Amino acid sequence: MTADTVLLDIDSDFMRPPEQVMRLDRMGSSFPTRLSFMRTLIRRMSKENWKFERTLREVDKDGHGVSVYSASTPSRTYSLIAFTQEIPPEMRTDRVIAEVWDATFNLFDGIPSQEDIDYLANNTPKQEGGRYRPSELVLARANKSLRVFENVIASLAEGAQPDLDLLSSVGYLMRTTAVYGSGKFGCADRAKIADREECRAPFQMELLAVYLIRWFTIDSVEELAKERGGDKAVKLNTNTRQFIGVGNSTGLGMAPFLLKHPALIHNWVVAKETALARVRSIETPIQGTLEVFLKSLLQVSQHVDEWNVDDDVQAHRISCLTDEIQALRIWCEDESNIFRPYPWNGIYHYVEDNFSLECQEMIVSLIIEPHGSLVDDLADTMSTTLIPKFKADMPLTELKAIVKDCYQWATTIDFSLEESQHHFWYYSEDKLEPRFGSKGVDEGVEQEMPLAIGRDVHDLDEMLSETKDEMLIAEFVMLYPQFRHIIRRIQNTFLRPYSEVQDNLLGESMRPLDLLRFKLAFFGASKFDPRSDLWTRISMYQGAPMPEQISEPNHDCWSFPIVGRSQSYPCMNCKCQKAI
Amino acid sequence: MSKSDLTISLNEVLFYFTRAAFGVNVPIGLSEDFAYSNIWIAENGFDPSLCSLEALNNLDNQVSSLAIKFEKLNESGHFFCHEDKFLSALEASVSVVDWIEVSTPTDELKISNVDAPFLVVSAIGANQCSGLTVSWVDQDKSQYQVNFIDNETWEIISSSVNPIELTSGADMLITSFYANDNIPQGSNIKKFNVTKATLKTLNNGVQVRENWQGIYDYFSRCLVKSSAESRASGAGAGMVDTD
Repeated sequence: MTADTVLLDIDSDFMRPPEQVMRLDRMGSSFPTRLSFMRTLIRRMSKENWKFERTLREVDKDGHGVSVYSASTPSRTYSLIAFTQEIPPEMRTDRVIAEVWDATFNLFDGIPSQEDIDYLANNTPKQEGGRYRPSELVLARANKSLRVFENVIASLAEGAQPDLDLLSSVGYLMRTTAVYGSGKFGCADRAKIADREECRAPFQMELLAVYLIRWFTIDSVEELAKERGGDKAVKLNTNTRQFIGVGNSTGLGMAPFLLKHPALIHNWVVAKETALARVRSIETPIQGTLEVFLKSLLQVSQHVDEWNVDDDVQAHRISCLTDEIQALRIWCEDESNIFRPYPWNGIYHYVEDNFSLECQEMIVSLIIEPHGSLVDDLADTMSTTLIPKFKADMPLTELKAIVKDCYQWATTIDFSLEESQHHFWYYSEDKLEPRFGSKGVDEGVEQEMPLAIGRDVHDLDEMLSETKDEMLIAEFVMLYPQFRHIIRRIQNTFLRPYSEVQDNLLGESMRPLDLLRFKLAFFGASKFDPRSDLWTRISMYQGAPMPEQISEPNHDCWSFPIVGRSQSYPCMNCKCQKAI
Repeated sequence: MSKSDLTISLNEVLFYFTRAAFGVNVPIGLSEDFAYSNIWIAENGFDPSLCSLEALNNLDNQVSSLAIKFEKLNESGHFFCHEDKFLSALEASVSVVDWIEVSTPTDELKISNVDAPFLVVSAIGANQCSGLTVSWVDQDKSQYQVNFIDNETWEIISSSVNPIELTSGADMLITSFYANDNIPQGSNIKKFNVTKATLKTLNNGVQVRENWQGIYDYFSRCLVKSSAESRASGAGAGMVDTD
């Protein structure tokens, strides 16, 4: 399927419009779906029967040293090279400005030689301070969750399984604090690998690195427990192993990416919204799907019970979500509500009319979930190779009409108000850490990142209104070169209506967190745990099959996992449906 | 990162060169085009910092200007700077590409007194304009001709063995490739295949040498000085994270 095929569905009556979807509050309520990039990668691993192997482990009794974990596709091998070291607890920070980490990683393109490992041993632990080569696809680092890491080792060394409550409250053994790809610090450009089948979907190599990091963390605690406990030590049981994810701490760096790749974002959103529209347009449900949905409501209730955060706003939202799922279950018990034509559309409308955005987006994910056969092809449409071009031959009248018709959300914002231009985005000289400043408080307005899309469109609209229609755009930008950037953006996004966040990104009430959650949900992250309006922790691959489980029939049954148990019902998407 | 003799990626060319231009007060849209031109330079195996640093220095020292005028002369067009300065290649290059898009293939275009002609060439290449010849005589009286034969192939024909990246201060002429048979005397010819050259660059990276430090210095102007307050609160997370 091509992106053009997807575009055909945009006018469907069941498609949610961009002005509903691309709003910060809804984006900040996103959940992963079966089109999320981690899910896509796991399905590919299973379909192509990828092989996994630990090829090197040269560490001391404390686990410090170097390890290599490989993943082999039908056509090539990728290797995670992991360096571990002891660091002082007070040096442990999730920030970009950190200088040391418990573990540092590269995803290597192929099988590394000893020379490669030696080169990286001198660079990877320095992270941004090192230099990498086109043979390195990803650079990453992680810190231990000290209490979980130690508890798991101590328990296993004693021959016992770890404390599930503790494990559930954190969800992972280590937390990544950056995962860099696409040419960062000298690593391979995306163009080097973009044509490879396994790299076609977005962020597949970054997420492969994270998947291998998760395996590395689990393997590490089991090895360390064996070192400590000898024959008495045991391994994690299967369900606990599978529950353990890998954490991630995400800050502002993700937000500029989202704003700088509008065509890519359009493709992500239009794929998800098309999936939803396809499901909502089903008149007679596919056999078994409603039953799976009802069972998933039970499981998701437990999942939400295990989603504990300190943040007051998110805690309140989770509490509401718990009540709303319960109310939905009761509503669904009345068969007349769901066993009728267009049942999915009925469920969607009921939730939209009665429940919070958090619940609406959760239900979007749940109703898409049993329909793999109907929607999984959309995962192939979520990339783009578009390099935005400036179209000098566009008549100015056409540009004026586009701004008027497609950017009303921007032209109607009153930017003369102080609160409308309260914030600005900038890079700090401190390791280029992205930061979010307040005008009149923080220095650096002059070096503001060009992310003020709404304001720039607004200013362009004002200038266009004073300019004669006869002028060509080529002439206009010679007179006003400051608008070249926003004109190019408009020319390349107006036909991609889901590409723009339709809110003021500079406003006083703006929460970058909403952008982070939106993007992380597309990755497949769960258990969003905001640490502030600018920062969140998440879990990745929680519930996903381990490498040795990748070929099992239920490899795709891991959405909204719960601790200590595998999915409590068969899904509709893989061979385990035979168990219905 | 600020040291010389590095191997960088194409994505780093985009990141650093965009902001380096922004650092000398070039509008962001032009800065982006400048960076894409530098990616094309790098893809073809050249050090992008070699010609670009000079163009940025010229703007920073006000030796060149972004101010541009256009006049129509019969079948040809003419870009020039109305101030008593070089026409900055950063402005000339985007204006040329825009002109190519709106003009007919037989039209000729003159560009007067451009400070870094190879940047104009690279903009044409980056925008995949083909069937064109770009020619100029630089301040050292060396003749250069660049032919964009098709989307894959281009060639440099020059009377000099000096690096084309370093030519400066020239009146340039852009004509249809097929209409041009004026080959420089004593020519050195070098042909390029963009796909092959790009593949090589993707596998080996981009070598930048002594001028890189200057690019990085301009880039650094886009960074905001860190204070105790911004360090503590600007990124939203704590300074120590243990759990």
